[in-house]
Amino acid sequence: MTKLTEHPFFKKVIKDAWSYWTGAMLLAVLNVSLLVVSGKPWGITGAFANWGSWIYRLLGGHPENWTYYAPGSSNAKDLLEQSFLTNNLSVQDIGIIFGALLAVLLASQFKIKKIKSWKQVVAAILGGLLMGYGARLAFGCNIGALFSGIASMSLHGWVFAVFIFLGAIAGSKLLVKYFMT
Amino acid sequence: MAEYRLDCLGEACPVPLLKTQKKIEGLKVGDVLIVEIDHSCAMKNVPEWARKVGYNVDIEEVEEGQWDVYIEKTK
Amino acid sequence: MDIKKKAPKKKRNQLPAGIVLLVLIIIAGILFSGVSPMLAIFWMFGIAFGFVLQKSRFCFTASMRDPALTGSTSLTRAVIVAFAVATVGFGAVQFSAHLKGVPIPGNIFPVGIHTALGAFMFGIGMVISGGCASGTLMRVGEGFIQQWISIVFFVIGSVWAAKDFGWWTDNVISKFSISDGVLKNAVYLPNVFGWAGAFFGQLVVLGILFIIAEWFEYRKLNLTQEVSENKSIGARQGGI
Repeated sequence: MTKLTEHPFFKKVIKDAWSYWTGAMLLAVLNVSLLVVSGKPWGITGAFANWGSWIYRLLGGHPENWTYYAPGSSNAKDLLEQSFLTNNLSVQDIGIIFGALLAVLLASQFKIKKIKSWKQVVAAILGGLLMGYGARLAFGCNIGALFSGIASMSLHGWVFAVFIFLGAIAGSKLLVKYFMT
Repeated sequence: MAEYRLDCLGEACPVPLLKTQKKIEGLKVGDVLIVEIDHSCAMKNVPEWARKVGYNVDIEEVEEGQWDVYIEKTK
Repeated sequence: MDIKKKAPKKKRNQLPAGIVLLVLIIIAGILFSGVSPMLAIFWMFGIAFGFVLQKSRFCFTASMRDPALTGSTSLTRAVIVAFAVATVGFGAVQFSAHLKGVPIPGNIFPVGIHTALGAFMFGIGMVISGGCASGTLMRVGEGFIQQWISIVFFVIGSVWAAKDFGWWTDNVISKFSISDGVLKNAVYLPNVFGWAGAFFGQLVVLGILFIIAEWFEYRKLNLTQEVSENKSIGARQGGI
């Protein structure tokens, strides 16, 4: 095993971190490939609404009555006919989690990072809610609206870019003021 | 030439870099700051910043997913 | 630097666990393909995205946050590069669809006040929680418990908005959206500027943003250097 981990190829590709530009190019190429292969660009948060709605249904709720899942819409089709492991976007998102886990395990860099302060918990709760709600309003997140929207030459991507940037500045001020540990 | 340790374990990005920038300001030239990091982004952006500013940097992986970043304040 | 380094603890080799996970991932892919080939394809793309994001420590959150907070624009510039490369690829696919007369693929969605509001909320949320959508998923896989919490509320926020979506559609999206004349409440830039104008114009804008980002970091770092040099001189002369 030691001989393998010392090999320059292993070190460069599996062990060491890649450059930001390498990441940028690969992500762009992957996004374009996904567009070609599936007809749709890369997106993430569409699945989150479904995850929540499937759970809500299990708990007795009726999300199929909402406008978001209007009869005949593709959202409705996903909600009523599919689930966590049979919906394309859902499976892709789970794949992202395991792809990252695979990367850290192969590099022997996996570590559970525990919560250091209650401020991190509050920040995670507030931040998660804001992102989840905001992404539905804007028809996407940093990937679906920002990355794929701009790549698709849609104005909504550029508007998203301006305001996510402003939001990040506001968030930075809040972070330093209230959430620094 | 003094040596200081800065524990940033469990901190979310960008806290390790912010704390490092602040701490380094107060050190004398020739001092070394050892930043303990377990955030994969920080083990990249802390050394990157330190090198851009012109300090000597060395990184040592001390455990799975944990690094010591040595920064020598050279100017 | 001749510093006595802390003796590293005995490191555990996680490579075997990684290989086991890789095998499981492949098996999962085979099982997914039994449901539908496209499902297996989305699974592999997910794995690839997650792998690339983690290996390159790619963080959209940092690309937006660092210019203001730490002065660094290296991720900002990398993100711009990603946009430019994707623009070229998407442009080719879209133009080819246009020539064939088939519907143009891509994310072309309603744009208006709701976009600004949603993006602003998202920007705040990603910075305080320490990760955007891709970053959160990546960090869930890396073992950050803060993101395990974040993802739960990310899902709650999403379904909450789905529930409210009817209200937003009736009162905001349908009333305060912009149209490009062809699409009802969306703007497809080629419809406004023509294909060449939109495509090359977008690449030029990205190029300009890149140069601004480069210049911004240069200014910020030179300024910080002067401040810290003056402080060092002050420290050496007797005060700290």
